[in-house]
Amino acid sequence: MEFKEEKLDNGLSIIGEMNKSAKSAAVGFFIKAGARDEIRQINGVSHFLEHMLFKGTDKLSALEVNEAFDRTGAQFNAGTSEEYTVYYAAVLPEYLLDVTQLWIELMRPALRDDDFDIEKNVIKEEIAMYKDMPSFDVVDQCRSLHFDGHPCGNSVLGSNESIDSLTSGQMRNYFTSRYAPNNMALACAGNFDWEQICSSAAKLCGKWQSQVVERKLEHYNGSKKKKRIDKSNLSREHICLMSSAVSAQDPGRFAASLLGIIVGDNVGSRFFWELVDKALAEAASMQFGPMDGTGAFYSYIRCSAENVALVLDTVNGIFRSLSQDGITEDELRKAKNKVLSSLVIKNELPMGRLGDLGSNWLYLGQYRTVEDDVKAIKAVGVDDVNTLIEQFNPGDFTQLSIGAAENN
Amino acid sequence: MTDKIDKYVLKNGMVLLGEPMEAVESVAFDFMLPAGAAMMPDGCCGAGSVIAEWIFRGAGDRNSRRLSDELDGLGLARSRSVGSSHITVGAALEAGNLAHALDLYADIILKPTLDNDQFELSRQLAVDGVLSLDDDPRQKVMFKLREQFYPDPLGRSPVGEIAELKALTAEKTRQIIKDNFDLSQTIFSVAGKYDFDAVCRQMEKLFDTERQQNTGRPKLGPRAGKYTHLDNDGAQVHIGLMTETVKQADENYYNARVAVSVLSGGMSARLFTKVREERGLCYAIGAIYHCLKEAAGIMCYAGTTPDKAQETLDVIIRQFNDLADGISEEEIQRAKVGLESSLILSSESSGSRAGSIAGDYYMLGRVRSLDEIKEKIEQTSVDSVLSFLRNSKFGDFTVVTIGPKQVTVT
Repeated sequence: MEFKEEKLDNGLSIIGEMNKSAKSAAVGFFIKAGARDEIRQINGVSHFLEHMLFKGTDKLSALEVNEAFDRTGAQFNAGTSEEYTVYYAAVLPEYLLDVTQLWIELMRPALRDDDFDIEKNVIKEEIAMYKDMPSFDVVDQCRSLHFDGHPCGNSVLGSNESIDSLTSGQMRNYFTSRYAPNNMALACAGNFDWEQICSSAAKLCGKWQSQVVERKLEHYNGSKKKKRIDKSNLSREHICLMSSAVSAQDPGRFAASLLGIIVGDNVGSRFFWELVDKALAEAASMQFGPMDGTGAFYSYIRCSAENVALVLDTVNGIFRSLSQDGITEDELRKAKNKVLSSLVIKNELPMGRLGDLGSNWLYLGQYRTVEDDVKAIKAVGVDDVNTLIEQFNPGDFTQLSIGAAENN
Repeated sequence: MTDKIDKYVLKNGMVLLGEPMEAVESVAFDFMLPAGAAMMPDGCCGAGSVIAEWIFRGAGDRNSRRLSDELDGLGLARSRSVGSSHITVGAALEAGNLAHALDLYADIILKPTLDNDQFELSRQLAVDGVLSLDDDPRQKVMFKLREQFYPDPLGRSPVGEIAELKALTAEKTRQIIKDNFDLSQTIFSVAGKYDFDAVCRQMEKLFDTERQQNTGRPKLGPRAGKYTHLDNDGAQVHIGLMTETVKQADENYYNARVAVSVLSGGMSARLFTKVREERGLCYAIGAIYHCLKEAAGIMCYAGTTPDKAQETLDVIIRQFNDLADGISEEEIQRAKVGLESSLILSSESSGSRAGSIAGDYYMLGRVRSLDEIKEKIEQTSVDSVLSFLRNSKFGDFTVVTIGPKQVTVT
């Protein structure tokens, strides 16, 4: 593995981790533009804009864009979160330059009004689709309840109302301010020619104008509110719990992710033994979600209406015992084995590697090797995790449940 | 990747397959046990998902907790699934832990504890799984579609039926395990970093059992209904649609795969372009080739708000029917590049390769090399795909919808 980096005069970061033995290569644009960067009037614009980039440029129609991607056989997509927007593709090495140049072109989109109007329908279909996925919906709504006014609680999709009232002019303004070269990184991983990618990017992106762009970072402890939403067509109770945690920049993030595994991995965790193994809940998981300047632990539990009280008592008992007695050496050892093994497996694929490469760059402004992460995970001690529990008290959570009214 | 396949047959008939991969430190393995949903006795729908849970709740001299702790101690990412024909259990892990993991899996398969108490919990989780499906209409519609499309019992739900799960007993389920964990019909595959000689020696020792009588394949019944609607007061109508096509062993298999790719291979493919890009009818729309050993189909999903459901279905069916009228050279080229590229990209993952080689062996009785697949894809052309489509026109469409509104299927 060899790491390379370059920064253009306009602030665009180009980074690459080369692995000549890989059979593929992956490329992605990572942009610091997410729902948290939106004000209420334009909620949903980051995600809508991600769709609009595929609608082409002054020179390319939407169909031509899709054809150009498909000619390279790329496995490509894009995603928007509260934190950032990412565009990525995995291809055979001989197509990497083509697909990189295509992404570069798309980063300066036409944002045509007629495309904007038709895509509104697609966005509203996507909002409807997630409404029919309560396991997603409950987490989304719990995040809003937890962050209660803090920008990290903004919905990524927006609502039918915010999408209806959004104008293409508002989108263009948002685009200009957030898709500035100094607010994004172009990353490559796997088998590729660094000089070729770099000189091509320098030539094609060099004229992009940098902007003054900022994001307000503020840690937030969470509202700790409790709420239940009735939804008549549901047969199960879907519960989301959220509490605050360290940020993506905090050295404690490795301990936090291990705590997530110890409490809520899908097998062998405390949730597993107390809830799933005993068939009190069908699903119960907890994860650490690192964010820019803040962070959260998310739990998702699905159970029958009659088990809700017992499930919540059990969860409270688990968090109480964590606060009182902490975790054990044995739990930490198993959690480390799981995390290390999945880290190795994920990073064997250039596409798996690209994600870490890009997010480390966005959050930390630095390159970290897989070995750096392995070392950091191995160095976590029981005391580190116990200090985290003491500091953040995951038992003091925001809670949102969705289920049928008659189940309440 | 050497494109070399290791193969060895144990004395009891179990086939061991291996694909060594350079440049990886991981290894993945799968056991395909002939105990899928279609192999369950009548009246036991869902027994497969109970079994897949129950066998992990203690094995050999380890209780449930100790077994789970040992598996976790190896840091392995477990996988298990219940399909139409098989229960597949496996894992991906760091190569150095393979021998220890195989010891544990041999006990899980040969010596599961199968306690009565653990049976009740496993069955409860299976019942919960069926109920949860009501809250996941997108997945439910595809299970229902397979059930309606494939001749019974091939499409039976791997999740199960509540009434049949409730009637299931521990004793009956033990008997099903005894009858169906037939090692002579079991396929083991391993891919990544491993020493095949060492794996064979260890497996021969671990699975030193008598050859069992082959349980055989189920007798096939008729296909079920043409259109099924399940009412649900959700935000969308979830549409599943399926039509018959050739099986993997058929000489036209690659023509069928390219045809499906023209329909739905990438974002420039016809379904995405006509349904989503031009009309904005859907967010999620796509079709895939779906194959069992006995039958195959092209399976399509679309989710849309109620007022657009009829138009969505009509546009989708038109795309299927228009395919035989003509396909451009460029469309075929894009479809071929997409298929070849996804083949090679997935070949970098040990987990994906372990699954593929076992699947090939079950379907074809041999493992295809990547070169062979590439060559066959290359050999397809506009003419070969069109002549296949014209000689085997799409017949009836099986349609299932879940949502607040029905559609009309002509």
